[in-house]
Amino acid sequence: MAVATQDTAIRTGRFARALIYLVLLLFVLFYMLPLYVMLVNSVKPLSEITGGGMMALPQVWTLEPWAKAWSTAQIGVQPTGLRPYFWNSISMVVPAVAISTVLGALNGYVLTKWRFRGDTILFGLMLFACFIPFQIVLIPMAAVLGFLGLSGSTAGLVLVHVVYGVGFSTLYFRNYYAVFPTELVRAAQIDGAGFFQIFWRILVPSSGPIAVVCIIWQFTNIWNDFLFGASFASGDGAPMTVALNNLVQSSTGVKEYNVHFAGAILAALPTLLVYIVAGRYFVRGLMAGSVKG
Amino acid sequence: MGFLNIDNVTKSYGSVEVLHRVDIAVEEGEFLVLVGPSGCGKSTLLNMIAGLEDITTGEISIKGQVMNGVHPSKRNIAMVFQSYALYPNMTVGQNITFGLEMHGVAKPERDKAMADVARLLQIEQLLDRKPGQLSGGQRQRVAMGRALVRDPDVFLFDEPLSNLDAKLRVDMRTEIKKLHQKLGTTIVYVTHDQIEAMTLSTRIAVMNGGYVQQLGTPKEIYDTPANIFVASFMGSPSMNLIPATIVDKDGAAHAEITDASGNAKHLRFSGGGLSGQDGRGIILGVRPESITDMEGADRKSTNIETITNTVGVTEPAGSDTFVTSQMSGRECIARMRADAEVRPGATIEFAVNMDKALVFDPQTEERVV
Repeated sequence: MAVATQDTAIRTGRFARALIYLVLLLFVLFYMLPLYVMLVNSVKPLSEITGGGMMALPQVWTLEPWAKAWSTAQIGVQPTGLRPYFWNSISMVVPAVAISTVLGALNGYVLTKWRFRGDTILFGLMLFACFIPFQIVLIPMAAVLGFLGLSGSTAGLVLVHVVYGVGFSTLYFRNYYAVFPTELVRAAQIDGAGFFQIFWRILVPSSGPIAVVCIIWQFTNIWNDFLFGASFASGDGAPMTVALNNLVQSSTGVKEYNVHFAGAILAALPTLLVYIVAGRYFVRGLMAGSVKG
Repeated sequence: MGFLNIDNVTKSYGSVEVLHRVDIAVEEGEFLVLVGPSGCGKSTLLNMIAGLEDITTGEISIKGQVMNGVHPSKRNIAMVFQSYALYPNMTVGQNITFGLEMHGVAKPERDKAMADVARLLQIEQLLDRKPGQLSGGQRQRVAMGRALVRDPDVFLFDEPLSNLDAKLRVDMRTEIKKLHQKLGTTIVYVTHDQIEAMTLSTRIAVMNGGYVQQLGTPKEIYDTPANIFVASFMGSPSMNLIPATIVDKDGAAHAEITDASGNAKHLRFSGGGLSGQDGRGIILGVRPESITDMEGADRKSTNIETITNTVGVTEPAGSDTFVTSQMSGRECIARMRADAEVRPGATIEFAVNMDKALVFDPQTEERVV
């Protein structure tokens, strides 16, 4: 992308530059501190933590807490570790992200290229979904899930997240497709392509950047969600976030801080991974269409 | 009944009628250009032929089949868009054959058709590239290739050259004309550029304000424009429109105008059509090339009138020199030879070719003679 290679920085003096770097460095340290504490304490025995060495590097290095958090820690009734709940989360996140992204893309396509009377009002109402607080819908949603026979199931959670996610994904794709040349759609119509052929063959292949944005956004939100997970999933079907909470809150006896830290990092890993793999497209996608070129 | 028939067609958005009762019959192999300023309805009309916009009332038919409500892909038409509208994710080859693929043509036939078109347009070496890697002129060729490969009944061009730079535009104009002469296809072409309209077309429809102002061959449009709009829109620099009064003198009708100093001058009309209308106010229309210096005057003309006048500004344009002067208070442009010796402020004799002069009614703006 041409924008990234352009030298748009403002020229500053050497002293000012040093000051800026110093301040930036301080902020980096500040932001990285919690991660440091978590990492360091997850690889030391519990005795070193309770002995007051919270900030120190471990004297004895061990991966024991990680293994325990993953496979043997007491969560709820069974000593299963976080592993089954991790897969619960995966089997909830993947379909929820996929469905809400595809639906958002289709909505964006219809709202920009197959305009109809009242489409802007409809879009406004869909945008409204982005601003409804989670707590308000808990009880009606529980009723709906009960009515559909999905309460307590992963499928029910997927439905909840898709419904909540469609507002955002529609917003992303609508704005992206709004600047997509309509002449291309018209050319494809004359070429004989139908509604879905135009979508799959012309629009989707050009939607890479915004799809990445949408997927990162949806993945992070759904993976990190606690409220819906705690409300609509029960027992063995709970997602990772709920399991982590159970691990940290409900342990009887000694609080195994090193295991808790390891568990917390495990719970955060997938979103971290998504950012590292797809993050550079994130800003690119958000900027798409704002700069001509 | 023409090959492409536009019969009494109107277009309204809500209660606003943007296109009023258009009637055009296009014969097979004709090159019809729709020309007019922006907002005149020319692109709307083209989109209605393509099926991208609904027809409010009236009928459009191709080869005798009514096309109202027929899907664009079922009309056997092809369109070249102003932005070329090449699919950015497909190679040139895929772009060209996409339409055939959508119409269920088998792969070997598609490849053969693509090869033929690529050879015709000399884009064989570009087939594996993406549109983003092509120059403007190459994209233009690919867009035409995509239209040609379908072998349609009617080609529609929507300002295809307006995104090219000036030199390339002239080259591509010639290419399109060559292609039309070679293939003999029926073309409807929209442009706001009157030179494109003149050079390419076999017939022109000049449009303004949702009305077809005049439909005719380029020569008819240029030499005998129906009204003041057509007269001033077609031709560059545009026609001089000089307020004048008809005066009977020596048994013939003259146009009385004033020179830069306000003195009355008389120019005798060539035909006899205006006799007996002494005192009638008119607009005299004279093209720049009909006002010259004495040496540059048309020798075939039967009636060269001279008028002594003061030169305003001279604009040497290389092949010609444009000279302005005041006539009846209007700035008039004369087209002189490149090496005509004319200085600003000098008083010289202008030769007006009255054979080519036109007369318009100031009220109705229609042409009288």
